[in-house]
Amino acid sequence: MHVQEHNPEPSNPLGMDGIEFIEFATSQPQALGGLLQRMGFAAVARHRSREVMLYRQGPMNLIVNAHADVLPGMSVPGSTPEISAIAFRVRDADFAWRRALELGAWEMPARASAMELNIPGIHGVGDSLVYFVDRYHDFSIYDVDFVALPGVNPNPPALAGMHFFGVVQSILDDRTDDWIDFYTQLLGFSVLPGGMYFGIMPKGTLLESPCHKFYMQLIEPPPGSEDIEWEERLLRVGLGAPDVRAAVAALRERGVVFVDRNPIQPSDKGALTQIYLGGVTFELVVSHLADAAPARAGR
Amino acid sequence: MNIDQFGMDTITLAGPLEAKLRAVRDAGFTQIMLQARDIAGHPEGEAAAIDAVRASGLRVTGFQVLRDFEGLSGHLHTYKIDIARAMLTMCHALGSTVLLVCSSTSTHATDDADACIRDLRKLAMLAVPFRIRIAYEALSWGRNVSEMPQAWDLVMRADRANLGLAVDSYHMLATKTPLDALDEVDPGKILFVQLADFMWQEVRSPDERMNTARHFRVFPGEGVHSSDIADLVRRLDALGYRGDYSFEVFNDDYVQLPLATVAARARQSVRFLVGKVSRRSLPVRAKRTATQ
Repeated sequence: MHVQEHNPEPSNPLGMDGIEFIEFATSQPQALGGLLQRMGFAAVARHRSREVMLYRQGPMNLIVNAHADVLPGMSVPGSTPEISAIAFRVRDADFAWRRALELGAWEMPARASAMELNIPGIHGVGDSLVYFVDRYHDFSIYDVDFVALPGVNPNPPALAGMHFFGVVQSILDDRTDDWIDFYTQLLGFSVLPGGMYFGIMPKGTLLESPCHKFYMQLIEPPPGSEDIEWEERLLRVGLGAPDVRAAVAALRERGVVFVDRNPIQPSDKGALTQIYLGGVTFELVVSHLADAAPARAGR
Repeated sequence: MNIDQFGMDTITLAGPLEAKLRAVRDAGFTQIMLQARDIAGHPEGEAAAIDAVRASGLRVTGFQVLRDFEGLSGHLHTYKIDIARAMLTMCHALGSTVLLVCSSTSTHATDDADACIRDLRKLAMLAVPFRIRIAYEALSWGRNVSEMPQAWDLVMRADRANLGLAVDSYHMLATKTPLDALDEVDPGKILFVQLADFMWQEVRSPDERMNTARHFRVFPGEGVHSSDIADLVRRLDALGYRGDYSFEVFNDDYVQLPLATVAARARQSVRFLVGKVSRRSLPVRAKRTATQ
């Protein structure tokens, strides 16, 4: 008798389902808020007790955390905003967190997080955290911790169909394999074949999330950059757009400036904004990822 | 090879940390292997110890030692993970990128290789955010892993980028592990090498190995296995290993001698090894062969 084997789907042990939010930490939240608004985000809610704001655009949630209560050993937010956390949507946050700890992740105390809900987190690169969120269907984490701003559309539409595409992470020399272990073993990411790049920044190593909705890009210091201060951290957010030129045009209208010198100039594949606030850039990448579900379904 | 590839280990020297660092530097070494006690036992506290290490200008070869880690279960495992976290934190604070872990001697540890591999993977993962590599060493009186090839087997099977092997000449010689076993090892996965000779021809029982290891080691060139140690270094060099060598010499006499005297003996040992290795790989020989 011939037995037909079933080929399993690529492993997604956490039931990962995209990004719930990305958090920035800064001591100058107004300045970052202004930049985010130019990028098409709108402030939609304020934290009940901390200096934390929720910005939203289409399916994307960005949190701006100016609360000074930081974790032991971690630096106080500076004036240059830094990406301080990525929150992944998962099937069961507690399971994802316990599994990560069992595999060697560092537990992060929840008290210092932006949220008062107990959102489980682990130590990511540099001072950043990785959160696991499972409340994103009928009930959201923001319902508990945030108060909606009055008179504001809680679900502002995305400009030019923009959505989260990925996060770029700078790493030190010879660290690619270490971080590949981190993202593949703890979170179920897989490495894309060498030479497979999106956008206009073909560098480093690309990792795809197990839900195929998100990428991490690891970048070691480029050759000849010995004099550049290079540290391990989350460097910038990549935003996907089905039509990059349309997105660039829409953002330019709002006053966003793009790098326009070779080899980095806006094209059909992607674009890179100038550096704002001493270190914040956004990268646009052509993308048709079916991630354009509302950020807050069921409202 | 040159002296910059060699370092001393603080366990060889008596006295306060600052005096050890000074003696090592004054002897011409540029690196130092630290033990957790140097930091935890500093009379002015951990921060002062870290400052002293940073001020010394010496590069930290590695930090030791996490013991009896792998193969435990239940609350013992939980306890050891806490210890590992604390040691990784200290290691990072010192600017060390290598944590030495020696194979377990615990009677509570399982001999299940899969469980040990799982634990080593977990430790390697804990070390990733800190940019620390885990160097796993076969202790010659280890309960389940007592020889280098066994440690290498676990390292290979665990297959983590920041997990590698620490090679220790004492343990290899004590168990009479053939040096040919090094040919099976990927030199890129050897994270560092500890060198020590000893005075006895044979150390047969695990207890005898432990006793000798903790009290009667000497520098390469001073014991009866010096030609084997030179052979080991030469083989590692030929394999392409270009990492650090550290003298891990536990010796009851050396901790009651002036630091400069002991450091001078270490320096003499470097001359012995460099001489042996260089002489055996003189380019002249290759040239002569080529013209034959």
